[in-house]
Amino acid sequence: MSGGGGRGPVYTILFILVLSAVFAAALAGANALYRPRIEANRELAEKRDLLYVFGMDTGGTPGEVAARFDASVRKDTLGDLEVYARLDGAGVVEAYAVPFVGAGLWGTIRGYLGVSQDLQAVRGVVFTSHSETPGLGGRIDELAYKEQFRGLSLAGGARLAYGEGDLDAITGATSTSNAVLRILNDLVENTLSGLEVVP
Amino acid sequence: MSPRETVRSVIRRNLFSENQVIRQILGICSSLAVTNLLSNSLVMGLGLTFTTALSSLTLSALRNWIPHRIRMIVQTLVIAAYVIFVDIFLKANLPEISKALGPYVGLIITNCIIMGRAEAFAQKNPPLLSLLDGLFAGLGYTGVLLAIAFIREFLGFGTLFGYPVNVVGFETWTVMVMPPSAFFLIGVMIWIASARMAAKKGVKKA
Repeated sequence: MSGGGGRGPVYTILFILVLSAVFAAALAGANALYRPRIEANRELAEKRDLLYVFGMDTGGTPGEVAARFDASVRKDTLGDLEVYARLDGAGVVEAYAVPFVGAGLWGTIRGYLGVSQDLQAVRGVVFTSHSETPGLGGRIDELAYKEQFRGLSLAGGARLAYGEGDLDAITGATSTSNAVLRILNDLVENTLSGLEVVP
Repeated sequence: MSPRETVRSVIRRNLFSENQVIRQILGICSSLAVTNLLSNSLVMGLGLTFTTALSSLTLSALRNWIPHRIRMIVQTLVIAAYVIFVDIFLKANLPEISKALGPYVGLIITNCIIMGRAEAFAQKNPPLLSLLDGLFAGLGYTGVLLAIAFIREFLGFGTLFGYPVNVVGFETWTVMVMPPSAFFLIGVMIWIASARMAAKKGVKKA
């Protein structure tokens, strides 16, 4: 073998230091270059998700989405929760999007649950990140599943359950389907039900 | 592997006779994980091809300066740098696919094919030939992934690249969506390839 095999330890250490510095600098450069775009992508996806939870139009260019978002959604607090609030035409809070986190089948599921201002009805649900099997548990991202949650009642201590109010689990993904309901019902029971809502 | 490699032999060897997945049995984990959709397989294959080609080029160019006893550390460093670049690039330009591939892009670092090419080829061959070797090793891998994904997406979802092609309306196979189906498909491909290689050798002997 030709090459640096016979060279001493000083050469070896200098070599790896210089090589590390060169590659670290190149990656830092690429990161700095792409950072604004990655951030913009993330914000756009978040805004689309929140508009979806509130049942609003999520389409259009990034500028249109941002304009629609800024016009009717703002950050708010509910108890000591950080939530997003949807305002109606008169600027009055009409619904909230409450973030949730919980264990799915393979990993953490995160998302938002949309609830009406009086916390008595579900407006919608969206999953912002999960690691469920694509094509099985991953189908919680499909409209056919998410749309079922719109309008479900939470009045009088009602909980979400499959088979009630036309809510169906995903065939072949029972564990993920059950995990979603457990996470959402935990949120309703432990967090939302303790809140006093001022009408 | 013949002692003198030509461009032709590098291409033939990597695409067919020594295909990384079905002849060398390398890169199996990602072949099981991402092959239920053609689009994910394509991006994964291209990411790996890019990384293998450029890391082979870089390591071959540096081969006379790399201290032998730390060569694996150097290989990992170079490979990791290219993989992180692919990850950043996907996040910025193809956020949907980046989300679908999730942790698998980062795991390209641990794909044995890349380090295998660096150890077996790039450290004793000139840079341009190493670039070709890495490029076609990656393309051989991509070809196998796409073949598996074609069968899995067609039978599992009734779609190809997301477009519905299930015109006869057959019942889709849930098992094709799950990783074990890739295990069976790769097994069958390895079987066919081995049988063909054995048959070829038999003919030469006769």
